[in-house]
Amino acid sequence: MTEQKTGVDPKLLEILVCPLTKGPLKYDPEAQELISEQAGLAYPIRDGIPIMLVDEARPLDKDRPPPSRGGGAGP
Amino acid sequence: MGRSERRGAGGRGTAHFGFRAVRPEDKASMVRAVFDGVATRYDLMNDLMSGGVHRLWKAAMIDRLGPRPGMHLIDVAGGTGDIAFRFLDRVGGARPPARVTVCDASSAMLEVGRGRAVDRGLLRGIAWVAADAASLPVADMSVDAYTIAFGLRNVTDIAAVLAEARRALKPGGRFLCLEFSRVGAPLLGRLYDWYSFAVVPALGEVVAGDRQAYLYLVESIRRFPSQDALAGMIAAAGLERVKYRNLSAGVVAIHSAWRI
Repeated sequence: MTEQKTGVDPKLLEILVCPLTKGPLKYDPEAQELISEQAGLAYPIRDGIPIMLVDEARPLDKDRPPPSRGGGAGP
Repeated sequence: MGRSERRGAGGRGTAHFGFRAVRPEDKASMVRAVFDGVATRYDLMNDLMSGGVHRLWKAAMIDRLGPRPGMHLIDVAGGTGDIAFRFLDRVGGARPPARVTVCDASSAMLEVGRGRAVDRGLLRGIAWVAADAASLPVADMSVDAYTIAFGLRNVTDIAAVLAEARRALKPGGRFLCLEFSRVGAPLLGRLYDWYSFAVVPALGEVVAGDRQAYLYLVESIRRFPSQDALAGMIAAAGLERVKYRNLSAGVVAIHSAWRI
C-alpha cells in the first residue's frame, strides 16, 4: 500500500502503450521514463503523470533521428 | 492514427485557431498554451460563463453513458476531472470497480484535476495521462467507453480523433461527445452571439487574466461543425447508430454512437 509521490499507478502501466506504434512500453523507475523500443522514444513521467506526447519524448539513440510525425519529407 | 500530424509536414492546407488560419502543425501547441495558461481558472470560468449550467450538461452526458461496475472509461480532453468525478460518483465503490483514464494534452490541466481528486479523497480508479487525442496511448479495443467534453472543438483533425476513438473502443463500446453546437432559434442565436463576443472575452480578461484565450473559445465554437455535420463525421469514422440531442436550444449537443 505504499505509494510514492513519484511513482506511477501499476494499473495504469498495464494499459499504456506507445502512442506512436501502439507497441509495449518498459517502465524505468530510476529514470522515471516509459520506454518504447519500437519508436526509439522515452516518455517522461513528471510528478507521477506519464507524458505520452511524442514531441516531449526523449529519443533513445542520438544517431537515429526521432520517428517523424509527418512521415518524413514527403510532398 | 494521427493522420493530421502525418499529413501536416508538407504545408498542405491550414488548420484554424479560432478564426485565424494557422499551420496544422502549429495548432496543437497553440491550443495547449491556451489551456496551460487558464488551467487554474478554468473551472471558475466555466461556472461564470454558463451560469453553472455546464454542470447540468455534463451530468446529462453521464446520464447517457450509464456508468456500470467494471466499466473502463477513457475521458479525452478531460483535464480538470469534471467528467471523471461524475463518472466515479455514480459507480465508485462498485464491484468490480469501475475506472477512468483521463487524457489531456495540457499537463497543467491534469495537475489541477489531480489536485481536485485529492481534495475529494478520490485516489482509486482514476489515472491522469498527458496524451494527444489523435494518438492515444492505449491498445486497440481496450476501453468500454470514450467521452470527450468540450474537447473535440480544439483538436487539429476531428476525423483523426474520431478514428482514434473507434480504435480504442471495444466492440460494443460507447462513444459520447459533449460540445458547443448551433443554436436553432434566430433571436436566441443573436443574443447568444452578443453574449459570446462581448461578454465572454471580457470575463476572460477579468477572471482568468486572458482575453485572447476566451476570444479563441468563442471563435472556435463558431467554426465547429453543426450537429448534423458532426454526426456525419462520426459515422464516417466507422462508429454506428449515431444520434445527437440538443441541450439549451443547441448551445451544446451530445452526440452518441457505438462501436459495433
